[in-house]
Amino acid sequence: MDARILLVEDDPSIREVTAIGLRAAGFEVETASDGAAGLERWRELQPDLVLLDVMLPRLDGLEVCREIRRESTVPIVILTARGDTIDVVVGLEAGADDYVRKPFEMPELVARIRAALRSRRSGTEAGPAALSLGPLAIDTAGRTVRRDGEEIALTRTEFDLLVELAQRPGQVFSRDQLLDRVWGYDYLGDSRLVDVAIGRVRAKVELDPANPELLLTVRGSGYKAAR
Amino acid sequence: MTAIGVGTYAFVDGRLRDGLLDEASRQAQFNLSVLLPERLPGEISPESYAASGLREAFRLRGDVETIVDFGHDIVDVSNTDLLDAVGTFPASLTSVAGSGRLGFAWLDVAGAPSLVVGGRQGASPVFYFVFQAQTIESALAQLRLGLLVAGLFAVVLALATARLVARGILRPVDSGSAAAARIAAGDLSARVPAGGADEFARFAAEFNRMADSLASSVQQLRASEDQNRRFVSDVSHELRTPLTALVAEASVIESGLDGLPPDARRAAELLVADVRRLRILVEDLMELSRFDARAEEADLRPTDLGGAVRAIVAARLRGASVDGPETPIVVAADMRRLDRILGNLLDNAGQHAAGAPVEVQVRGDATSATVTVKDRGPGVPADALDHLFERFYKADASRHQGSSGLGLAIAAEHAKLLGGELSARNRAGGGLEVTLSLPTADVDSGSLRAGDGRDTLGPDAADGSGAETAPTEQARPNA
Repeated sequence: MDARILLVEDDPSIREVTAIGLRAAGFEVETASDGAAGLERWRELQPDLVLLDVMLPRLDGLEVCREIRRESTVPIVILTARGDTIDVVVGLEAGADDYVRKPFEMPELVARIRAALRSRRSGTEAGPAALSLGPLAIDTAGRTVRRDGEEIALTRTEFDLLVELAQRPGQVFSRDQLLDRVWGYDYLGDSRLVDVAIGRVRAKVELDPANPELLLTVRGSGYKAAR
Repeated sequence: MTAIGVGTYAFVDGRLRDGLLDEASRQAQFNLSVLLPERLPGEISPESYAASGLREAFRLRGDVETIVDFGHDIVDVSNTDLLDAVGTFPASLTSVAGSGRLGFAWLDVAGAPSLVVGGRQGASPVFYFVFQAQTIESALAQLRLGLLVAGLFAVVLALATARLVARGILRPVDSGSAAAARIAAGDLSARVPAGGADEFARFAAEFNRMADSLASSVQQLRASEDQNRRFVSDVSHELRTPLTALVAEASVIESGLDGLPPDARRAAELLVADVRRLRILVEDLMELSRFDARAEEADLRPTDLGGAVRAIVAARLRGASVDGPETPIVVAADMRRLDRILGNLLDNAGQHAAGAPVEVQVRGDATSATVTVKDRGPGVPADALDHLFERFYKADASRHQGSSGLGLAIAAEHAKLLGGELSARNRAGGGLEVTLSLPTADVDSGSLRAGDGRDTLGPDAADGSGAETAPTEQARPNA
């Protein structure tokens, strides 16, 4: 695996050792030390994944995240301080796919990055190549979604989440099941990942995201796709 | 007061009745001695009377009804209501009237209070003139009511005045004891109203001085406590950046241990272990400082305690055995906190009884549920049991290695947030057991389900299409 990662982190020690650790794990790593430089490097490199510190000088990490999301569906993992629960939610709402709390050990970070890079469909499970959900036409091989013929840009996480639900319309998935299947968390994942991602998918595919007709909340249980 | 009221009433009553009586007498006199001879100079028979128009003439002169008693039960009345009235007149009236003088009486005539004046002119029939006394009666009734209200008002006023006077004397004492009670209850802003120059005023001044000094010492104490807490929180935050670098560095070094020469390798191993210890300590401190800042909130959802415990133990201390009923024990819990509590208890047990089996027991009844973690370590001295959940408390040096000394204190804080508590005791046969007690949730209560929770149990989970949300799904063991 030689996926290319852009690491945006202002602390030189953390930046350097993280880059060393990621390279040792087989990634190609480029770095930037502040938000503005990070955005510039991203445009220049078009990396496979962005690893983004939330607290950055010059341009806030969350702002960088929003800027990237305006143009791209590249996987973004944010680095947040433990206990700063607001950072997590705001970061996810800004479009991050996942987050890792500081301090982190390298194996933990590598695992999250791999999960964010991995396409769910590339695993052992083979599903139909084309799915439909209401007016949505989902091409699982080409990883595209069209609503009435018009393509909708979904991030990797958003796409996997949609496919997971759309594959079994009417079946209720608990947040833990979705955390396992889409994010690769098998123990105590953060349910907010699911809730925020569902919100983001709805904002893109539903006509009225406040009154969803395709991705439904099952009170007390989780989510399901409309039959 | 009553005497004045009665006097007033009698006086007014007398004046009103005298007035009517004067007026009635003059009218009767005029009717009998002027009008009657003029209109009916001869003998008066019922027929001649009726024809004379006197009946109407009398009435026209005043608001008066007339009864003419011709004798032998023959009467003429100006109003048919009065037909039987004569029979009810007292003898004192009829005899005086019959004698040719004017007689009068206060009577109820045909249901109305009236003044009846009777008399005759020579050999004429006896004339009775019935004057309405209703106006007098209603005036008197109003007066009675007025007097009664005034009387009651006076009584109430007197009582209230008496109370106020008594209170005025007792108030300083009352306010003193009220202020003392408020201070005792923790309200240090309570003061006694000052003023005056008596012994109460001196007492108030002394009391308030004492309260001022108490309030300022407590405030100082709180301020320095707040300062300490802020300091801990600031320090932990400042430590985070270098700690993040250290932890990442240590984990990179750890992955390259094999390439190091023996001495450097040992040093690197120690470095890695020490960085982990430092990380645990800093994170534990930050966690406690969040509790101190009251920044922690539980996210309570109905949770099957047995399933949750099995999942946590499987993820945290695989060698431990879990003993509990197969049927769900539903508690209102926060899976993340449950994980922190049990994780810390298991760490504690694992550290102090390395190698010996750790047993976990889950029990529950209608009102409470317990999780007990039992080790076969050395246990703790009996007098240390109560202090086990204090921060940095060291029951003995050996029960402290490799942990921050904060794990049990943190577990206790989390337990409190879940509405439960931790307790510890030594086991028969050696070892320590720590028990988490939690209130059992009312599964039917809708409020617990309102959160749309990740780990919520709910019959509504099933959608008829094979939903897989089972209680134990909420926290699956590490695969």
